[in-house]
Amino acid sequence: MAKKLDIPNADDESLVRAAQRGAMPPYEELVHRHRDKIYARAFSMLRNEEEALDLSQEAWVKGWQRLKQFKHNASFTTWMTRICINLCLDFLRKRKRKQTDSLDQMEEESGGVERRMPVEEFNPTENVEREELRAQIDEGMAKLSYEHRTVLILHEFERLEYKEISKAMHCSIGTVMSRLFYARRKLATLLISLKKERQK
Amino acid sequence: MKHEDKLRIQAWMDGELAPKEAARIATLIEQNPEALALSEELRVVENALHLGEKPAILDDSRDFYWSQIERQIDAEEPLLEPYAAPGIASGNLLRWMVPVGSLGAIVFLMINFESMNPQPQPSAPGITTEAPTPATPTGFTESANGLEEEIMEPGGMGVFNFQGSQGTRHLTDPEDPNTLPESIENPDR
Repeated sequence: MAKKLDIPNADDESLVRAAQRGAMPPYEELVHRHRDKIYARAFSMLRNEEEALDLSQEAWVKGWQRLKQFKHNASFTTWMTRICINLCLDFLRKRKRKQTDSLDQMEEESGGVERRMPVEEFNPTENVEREELRAQIDEGMAKLSYEHRTVLILHEFERLEYKEISKAMHCSIGTVMSRLFYARRKLATLLISLKKERQK
Repeated sequence: MKHEDKLRIQAWMDGELAPKEAARIATLIEQNPEALALSEELRVVENALHLGEKPAILDDSRDFYWSQIERQIDAEEPLLEPYAAPGIASGNLLRWMVPVGSLGAIVFLMINFESMNPQPQPSAPGITTEAPTPATPTGFTESANGLEEEIMEPGGMGVFNFQGSQGTRHLTDPEDPNTLPESIENPDR
């Protein structure tokens, strides 16, 4: 006789395997365990609480529908995060089509403001409390266009290589490098100006 | 410093360069103060991002959040249900039972048909006899005009119908990667 799964104490892999056999309660437990992480990734990309909430829930629905495709090669959260990121990318692409080009993109296309930015030689994060740093990063990220923000997120937090980012974002590796460089330099400039503002 | 070299410094820091090129950039950083300053700046940003990613916490209660997901799953489930993977009973077993059963039924009917309709007595010379009409033979229906033949398309027959439904299953099978709009979870995407 099969042993009954102790859902609250079971590890992710056991829960996923049970859910793959069609059991809903183990999946509910997985949602409960990882919902903040998935929501956080959606929010970091979309910068909008309501949209992040909707897309994170949509990611969980897609996750359930495609659960049998999950082969346990990566962790379940990595797999779910990828689903969430791709939903966010699709959403942002659709929204982008409706909007005119952002100033950031125009700057990037006209030669790149990052080429003209002087390299700052003081550390903008020195002597900054963690909460303050979080607020600064949050503000800086919000000021980036979604393309620049996304390459940063995919590279820095999801640890994707240039090649993988280029596939996910449907652009060349050169564009990934250029966007990443722009995003980092812009963020450095923003952090420095924020620090200067707060020091006044 | 050329813009291409700046991008290479970044790629060197991200571990994206081939060994030979990486060695060249490492030398450039050692020898060129501008290259060194740029690499420092990029490193500071990287550290700041890792220290400073703001955690986002959901306000919704566990039950409320899940209930919305569950409702959406239930709403979309009927679309997927007809394409659920067939078990042994509905799959392999039925695949053979349907034709074998049909054949058996036909043989049974043919044998019984013979016994239920005895041969007519030989008639006197010059008198013709009509062939006996079965009560309601398979494949015919009664209508106002008498007996009409049913339209029996190959796909309408039991065995073909079953195979037909399996065929269509693959068109929208959620597990078939070919039917996914974009293979989200495919790392090769």
